[in-house]
Amino acid sequence: MVFLENVIHILYFVMAGLIALSMFKSFFKRKANKGYVFDIMYAYCLIPFILRVLYIK
Amino acid sequence: MEKTKNPARTNLIIKIVILVVIFTIGAIAAVEFWQLRHYKETIVASEDLTEIKWLSDYVPSLKNTWLDSPVFIFDSGVEGGTVFLNGCPHPYEPASTMAAYLMIENIQIDKGKVIIVPRCNYSGSTDGMLGDAYPMFFSVESEWGTSQFRIGDRYTNPLDQWPDPFTYVNYPSGQNLAYQDIRNLNRTYPGRIDGTVTERAAYAIMEIIRNEGVDIAIDMHEAEILYPVTSTYVAPSKVLDRETFLATGEMNYYEPERSSLDIAMMAGMNLSDQFLMKSASSPNTLHGLSHREWADWSDALTFLMETPEIFIDKITGPRTEALMTEGKDEFLQKVTDKGLTYFPYDMEFGTPMWYRTGRHLTGAMEIINWAGMFYEDIEVVCSWPSYLEMQELENQGIDSVGYYLKNPDDPANAENVVTVYCKPVEAGK
Repeated sequence: MVFLENVIHILYFVMAGLIALSMFKSFFKRKANKGYVFDIMYAYCLIPFILRVLYIK
Repeated sequence: MEKTKNPARTNLIIKIVILVVIFTIGAIAAVEFWQLRHYKETIVASEDLTEIKWLSDYVPSLKNTWLDSPVFIFDSGVEGGTVFLNGCPHPYEPASTMAAYLMIENIQIDKGKVIIVPRCNYSGSTDGMLGDAYPMFFSVESEWGTSQFRIGDRYTNPLDQWPDPFTYVNYPSGQNLAYQDIRNLNRTYPGRIDGTVTERAAYAIMEIIRNEGVDIAIDMHEAEILYPVTSTYVAPSKVLDRETFLATGEMNYYEPERSSLDIAMMAGMNLSDQFLMKSASSPNTLHGLSHREWADWSDALTFLMETPEIFIDKITGPRTEALMTEGKDEFLQKVTDKGLTYFPYDMEFGTPMWYRTGRHLTGAMEIINWAGMFYEDIEVVCSWPSYLEMQELENQGIDSVGYYLKNPDDPANAENVVTVYCKPVEAGK
């Protein structure tokens, strides 16, 4: 049970990393919402994912 | 020759500038989060300290997790009762930790044994409440300098326990609770040895109570003044019939021979000339709380104490360090004037840190004394600073919390310096 808890915990960190990568890619290249306002939004939304992956927040 | 503009290049440069600006802001925040997470509090234990154990001594899987925490044991060597005092179950109620620190630093014990855990949810103290803006630390002034202590969260830090479920099911009652309560130490009792890290910490605390033969267990909290249970002792009048529950799953409650609630009521009445302390009976139908589950799953007399902490009321002005340490807020005064709070709040006085810490110190001592008077075999004789002593110092303009804190940098205290962290720390590190 403790082992499973730890595996799920780590999986969620991996998922956070994958979402961060996907957002980072979309920040530079996306089909819709191409304005700079959306660039700011993408960059801002990246922060919590990066902080989580880096085990800071 | 006219230069041709390259829109793709310009676009890329703007994107990089946006990224750098946002990441700089993120880095500034990250430094603060890191500082809060890794800040170590240092205290000077009393000469009467016998031993320091760890929560991981009771549940080994807590070792190297952020839920491990030191357990301070003061044994007089004279036969008597055993008292357990739990600090920091909700880290954003820091008077509970301050009271535990003042006990650890100043205790003198003559009979029985006292066990103190000053930060029982260490992880929760390394984080702030999600979506709320407030200072990471508060300061205490002493003659020898300034000490800094953390203001944490209510819950275990998600860095240490994540994800949350849609609904938390308390074990073994099977009661459904709010999803975030899976990280709320005071909803996860009696805990599980193989559960989440919070459940394992809860189980470790149950193991302390059971294995160390604790007779009197006191959980120190703080509460909003818009919450009815503020300024209150909570104690069970009935306890679970464990044998029947384990055999059939039926939850039957009976009146135990020794009543926590009787002791709480006597203590509350006796304190009425110092401060308001109500008594409430622990409900049989709400599970996971210390005053309920400690009594149901051990033989200890159990109590929960609440002081009034307006910092966690939801309708205050800005949550500043002064709101935490002085507790003065005009909005709560207005609400109190309309009779809507459960504490006679006076903004002139506020709810200062010394007042809340002093209440816990004297509130716990009153319980210990009354328990000893009710049942001689569990008598514990010990002392630490009292509410009235602190009030006297405050009247002289002295910060009474700082007055009773010892200087960890004083060479005379070097032998007794302890860093409160989630793992042992060598002196000077």
